[in-house]
Amino acid sequence: MVLADLLKKLPWFRPRHPLIAKNHAAFKGFDQRRPLVDYSFVVLDTELTGLDRGLDEIVAIGAVRIDNLQIDLGQTFHTYVRPQRLDHTEATLVHRITPEQLRRAPTLAEVIPEFLAFVGEDLLVGHYLELDMSFLQRAVAQFYQGTLVNPCIDTMRLSQGYKEVQLGYYQNQQPISNSYRLSDLSREFQLPLFEAHDALEDALQTAYLFLYLVKKFRKGGLITLQDLYRAGRSAIWKDH
Amino acid sequence: MMAETVFQGDDGRRETTGGVHAVPPGVAVAFFRETMPFKELPDSEILSLARHCRVDFFPKGTRLLTYNESEVTHLHLIQRGGVKAFITDGDGKVVLKDYRGVGANIGALGIITGRLANLNIEMIEDTFCYLLPREVFLELIRKNSTVAHFFLKSFSEKVVDTAYNELRNNRLSRRANEDLYLFNATAGDLIKTLQTISASASIQEAAAAMARHGIGSLLVYADEDPGAIIGIITDTDLRTKVVAEGRDHRQPVTAIMSGPLKTVPARALCFDVLLKMMATGIHHLGVEQGGRVVGVVTSHDIMVQQGNSPYYLFKEISAQNEFRGIYPLSQKIPDIVRSIINEGAKAGNIARMIAILNDRILSRILELLEEKLGHPPVRYCWLLLGSEGRREQTFKTDQDNAIVYADPEDEQEAERAKSYFQRFAAEAIDHLVNCGYPLCQGDIMARNPRWCQPLSVWKGYFRHWINAPDPLELMHSTIFFDFRCGYGAERLASELRDLLVDEVKKQDIFSYYLGRDCIANRAPLSFFNNFIVEKNGEHKNSLDIKIRGLTPFVDFARVLALRYGLRETNTLDRLRLLMGENHISADLYRATVDAYELQMQLRVIHQLGQIEQGTLPDNFIQPEQLTHLEKRMLKDAFTVIERIQTVLDKIFPAA
Repeated sequence: MVLADLLKKLPWFRPRHPLIAKNHAAFKGFDQRRPLVDYSFVVLDTELTGLDRGLDEIVAIGAVRIDNLQIDLGQTFHTYVRPQRLDHTEATLVHRITPEQLRRAPTLAEVIPEFLAFVGEDLLVGHYLELDMSFLQRAVAQFYQGTLVNPCIDTMRLSQGYKEVQLGYYQNQQPISNSYRLSDLSREFQLPLFEAHDALEDALQTAYLFLYLVKKFRKGGLITLQDLYRAGRSAIWKDH
Repeated sequence: MMAETVFQGDDGRRETTGGVHAVPPGVAVAFFRETMPFKELPDSEILSLARHCRVDFFPKGTRLLTYNESEVTHLHLIQRGGVKAFITDGDGKVVLKDYRGVGANIGALGIITGRLANLNIEMIEDTFCYLLPREVFLELIRKNSTVAHFFLKSFSEKVVDTAYNELRNNRLSRRANEDLYLFNATAGDLIKTLQTISASASIQEAAAAMARHGIGSLLVYADEDPGAIIGIITDTDLRTKVVAEGRDHRQPVTAIMSGPLKTVPARALCFDVLLKMMATGIHHLGVEQGGRVVGVVTSHDIMVQQGNSPYYLFKEISAQNEFRGIYPLSQKIPDIVRSIINEGAKAGNIARMIAILNDRILSRILELLEEKLGHPPVRYCWLLLGSEGRREQTFKTDQDNAIVYADPEDEQEAERAKSYFQRFAAEAIDHLVNCGYPLCQGDIMARNPRWCQPLSVWKGYFRHWINAPDPLELMHSTIFFDFRCGYGAERLASELRDLLVDEVKKQDIFSYYLGRDCIANRAPLSFFNNFIVEKNGEHKNSLDIKIRGLTPFVDFARVLALRYGLRETNTLDRLRLLMGENHISADLYRATVDAYELQMQLRVIHQLGQIEQGTLPDNFIQPEQLTHLEKRMLKDAFTVIERIQTVLDKIFPAA
């Protein structure tokens, strides 16, 4: 008995939080071979106080859902998040968020459950998603002692794959731009433009980019999630 | 799904406190605020629409809808990109119906009528669309008469057929009073005497009754009670169920009638009646009053009543017996132009319509003047020059006119004619100014003694221009070469034309000068957004569509018409004749006509917009205000200018 109690205190023997357990169960034996149109995606973006994964914090989360390979404008998520070190944050804010908005915003502890409910069992999409995910996973770990295993798709890597294919077709053509910033790619592909540095607007911009890439690829015979994985090569990774 | 219950419909819930809220994105809201007919909706409605929207992307070449196959589940609104609408006829030949660009919609007709797609839709650019679910769209139409009316109007078949939807929808705001008729008149206002026939009558008897009364439908009543209407037969029934099927016309009318009769109350607004017709596809509805059918109303009845008919204005001008009565009528021409644009008229037709109405105004003024000043001493012809002479006026442009009169018999008659026509011309021009036609800056008008002369003097003018071409004089005289008879003795204009054709034939050097002039005439321009625009001055970075765009085509058609002895003055007619006589290829003909008409259309819509904003119409188009598709079409048009210059260079080679 004593040993069992002791073991429970060690993280790797602790029983999983039900939410984490459910999340893991949902993706057990996940099938990548279904047509893309069958999957539902949540495209997300976070605003951060900085890039230091140890010190900096999330101050806003924006997200929008894609199902049937269409953006559903009725399914959006947007919230500001009150950081723990508010004073420190005020000095470093580069976004359009005012300190007053942050002071009134809910804490990460309040936001994360709502955000996870919104995400559900959808696949996650983002531009340089790895960065957003490292902050989100840290929060999930803090509150639920575990991590999400939703498959992730990075539109930045997908763009790289797409441009390589394009250049392969047109040997002589120089890329218009070598930048993989969201705003530069959006301009290069002539997408409708959104306001930069707002979590929801950036998520929408990313969603447009994702639709564009997927459907442009699809014309070339890309049908399943697995095809997308191959086309973007490193575009998808599993974040366990 | 859990997320739906938590996050839907809670916009603004904690917006000010920075909480979670599902606000529709600003871009979608802004789109609806800028797009007809949604922009007139209240903010709450626009927010709700934006929230019900989905966004889809279609790569270039995607087929969105297929004629008679696709079910229309969403209204598509183009956010970025462009599509073409087309049908394929029995021989597999593609007939292009329409280009649609940003802000245009796809699928409204199919949703409202509940039928399959009536056109093929294919993306001609990478295209992003907002998708409004069918139910949301139908609900919007049901609740909001302005929106419903916008779509109804755009379905009148003439409009569906036009390739100029985009121009019309994007450039013109709608005016509140434009369609008041539909919202004021009721079904009861339109009905004519009720014609009925007994259910036991034969098909032939019914057809005979319809022919006798000159009507397209008959109501059928039950034998025992003439008041109890049980159905209706129409011309269409006779055609499709009797003639086409070879049915015996001795059969009773009940064999082919439609029943029971669909009705609307007599007090129903014409608008609602039209909506019901569109929704059901039934074009004959019974009108009911006090529980009895009192008549029939048809879609034709409603359309005919719609105001701003050019024919009506034409008759009204003719009916005026005083100058003062004519002045206000000329101000109605912009309304007529707007209504025929809305009905899908192309620029060529619009210009012709304007010419007919302007001619009618001129004729009525001169008729009244002849009554006032007495019979003219000799025959005369009022010549119209320049764009009026070519029947290519859009809105009020400067007067360019002249008088040619028959050569007088003697000195006395010459004096009398001179003083009569001086006075006649001076008064006529005053009346024309009162009608809103401004004076010509260069004084090329009949009241200038130089341009009010007998035929022999006019012949001398033309001989001089043709035989001693002075480049500067030539440039100023081109508007005279486009003369036509506006009123009076057509013979005089025709004799002058004979002389012109003969003299030009004798003098190759004349058309050569004119031709080289067309080629040389390219002023310094700059590029802005890939567009040829004015480099300096008040209109910097705008495109003078008349000088840069249209004039090269007008000059091209004129110089070749003169060179080959054609008497026509209208640019499109000249081009057609030039092709008919193999002076230009069929391919070049198509290209020039398309390019010319597109630019005329852009110009007329630009000017109509200015008139409605209360500014003076001009020819300066801002390239950045054009849609993607318009820019592309305009660029195509400009490449044709290079083609015609190459052709001219071949016919009139530089020494």
